[in-house]
Amino acid sequence: MLRATGLLKSYRAPSGAPIRVLAGVDLAVKAGELVVVTGPSGSGKSTLLNVLGLLEDGDGGEVRFDDERVSRLGRAAKSRARGRYVGFLFQSFLLLPTLTALENVLLAAQYVGRSGSATRRRAMELLKEVGVADRMDHFPAQLSGGEQQRVAFCRAVLNDPPLLLADEPTGNLDDANGALILEALRGRARAGAAVVVVSHRPDAAVGASALYRLRGGVLESP
Amino acid sequence: MVKPLRLLRGYLFTVVGIAIGVAGLVALGAMSERIVRFIEGGDRFVLGQISVAGRGMGMGTGFTAGGLLPAATIRALADVPGVEGVQAQIMLPLDPSTSQFMTLTQELILGVDISVPMPNRHYRSLPVRAGRFLRDGDRRVAVVGAAFAASRGLAVGAHITLEGESYEVVGVLDRMLTAPDRFVFVPIADARAQWVAKDRLLRTVLASGGMALTASDLNTGAAVGWRDGADPDGVALRIRERVPGVNVQLPSELSRLLRSSTAFFSALLAGIGALAFVIGGLSLANTMAAAVFERIRDFGVKRALGATDLQLGREVLAESLAITLVGGLAGVGLALGLGWLIDGYVARAQQLFYFSPRLLGGALAFSILLGTAAAVYATARVVSVSPAEAIRRGT
Repeated sequence: MLRATGLLKSYRAPSGAPIRVLAGVDLAVKAGELVVVTGPSGSGKSTLLNVLGLLEDGDGGEVRFDDERVSRLGRAAKSRARGRYVGFLFQSFLLLPTLTALENVLLAAQYVGRSGSATRRRAMELLKEVGVADRMDHFPAQLSGGEQQRVAFCRAVLNDPPLLLADEPTGNLDDANGALILEALRGRARAGAAVVVVSHRPDAAVGASALYRLRGGVLESP
Repeated sequence: MVKPLRLLRGYLFTVVGIAIGVAGLVALGAMSERIVRFIEGGDRFVLGQISVAGRGMGMGTGFTAGGLLPAATIRALADVPGVEGVQAQIMLPLDPSTSQFMTLTQELILGVDISVPMPNRHYRSLPVRAGRFLRDGDRRVAVVGAAFAASRGLAVGAHITLEGESYEVVGVLDRMLTAPDRFVFVPIADARAQWVAKDRLLRTVLASGGMALTASDLNTGAAVGWRDGADPDGVALRIRERVPGVNVQLPSELSRLLRSSTAFFSALLAGIGALAFVIGGLSLANTMAAAVFERIRDFGVKRALGATDLQLGREVLAESLAITLVGGLAGVGLALGLGWLIDGYVARAQQLFYFSPRLLGGALAFSILLGTAAAVYATARVVSVSPAEAIRRGT
């Protein structure tokens, strides 16, 4: 489902010197696979997910969703590709503070033209599945961290994206909530999605199809 | 309904910021409009008649600044070809102690010979808000301008004392936003009596019998009308040639003089307008742009969810239209309230603000256009960075 080849990415240090973060990353994730990427802080894990999910451009290499070379698309086409193919789960949840839990979930459908009562029913089902249906009218500030991440998970999967990218999804959660989210991600993989998780948690690798470590800008098997 | 209200609540500070900017713009604009109306009204007045005064310094004779205009001269004016009507007038300062100052807010007594129709082509009659205007044969009655009435709480039936005599107010004029707002109109016979009472020199001259004067000779000026099709400047020139002992101004010349004498105010107005435009506009644009920049993380999240630049642009456009409209309306309301408060309680019923429809409409359109442009500009800036960068910057 996801194929990345030769990904390159550098940033400029305040001194102007280039800092190479990705130095030719190759990665392939098939539908139904769950891939876990680990690595020390600053090793470029988040950058890798951003480039894979078209949230930022790489300096070189290419990303394909199915057979489509999405890394070469224009801005609008990339946006549409993100909406159609990718679900994101972030460490800091990134719920919109002015929207209720249900509205945050429905936001995912808004930009891909999937609004309506069926989508609303689906959103409510998802909230029920992760145990926050009774909080659907609450605003993010009224939810605990675990509840916010569960809402964010519902938002990420509302459109049934074939690719799910999770950047430290348990980083701000307690063990119980972390385990719940990881299990939900495994469930998506079992349901046929390609899932890439960046995590420090040792139990993130449980049930993973592959485990990689990002070191020196390239992925290694540990 | 709940969502739009929540949206506005989320933008409360933005709405308040816009409202304050627009209120400043409207209030300064309304003061400017007020002065413009005053100058335009004066110009309209001088272009509607030929103003004639007796030659001389006219001590104590108010704005006419001339000497006596005797009855014989009034008759001579009426005989000039092209003249349609001549109305004898007396213009006196209400308070002679300030008559040496030609102020814009001077209160005047205008005695008019009501037996002659008003010759001014632009003011054939004055708009009466309550009661009636003067009638031929009236004595000891007065019609007061709107500001004069408001500052003293006068209504029809009230009495005012002028030079020790009581006058019944029989009419109150509509607010005209120009000089007559501060006038007291009285029958010319009463004005003559007041003039004699006010002017010691005149009393001495009359008592000495040194000049053969009758009451009808006591006029400080005359309003001269011209026949249909006649050139007003041409008629004025003929008066200058044929009637000795008068000061006569060509209407166009007087208009030019008035405009040049108010050039300072015109420049002041332009300054106020520019200041209002810059201050109000900057405040509004800055508030709106800041509101968008604050949401950079939200934009990043929405783009991660698949929103295109166009979708975000449309969203921002709709929101900014709603916010600037609400903020603009609130600003207009705030300025109206401020104007009402100042005019009613601080300026002692003198109208300092004129909220013309063109000003209110213009300010609203300006706020919506500028606010929306600022929001769209800020959005363009925000979406120019990658979604990942937007999320990073906003977190």
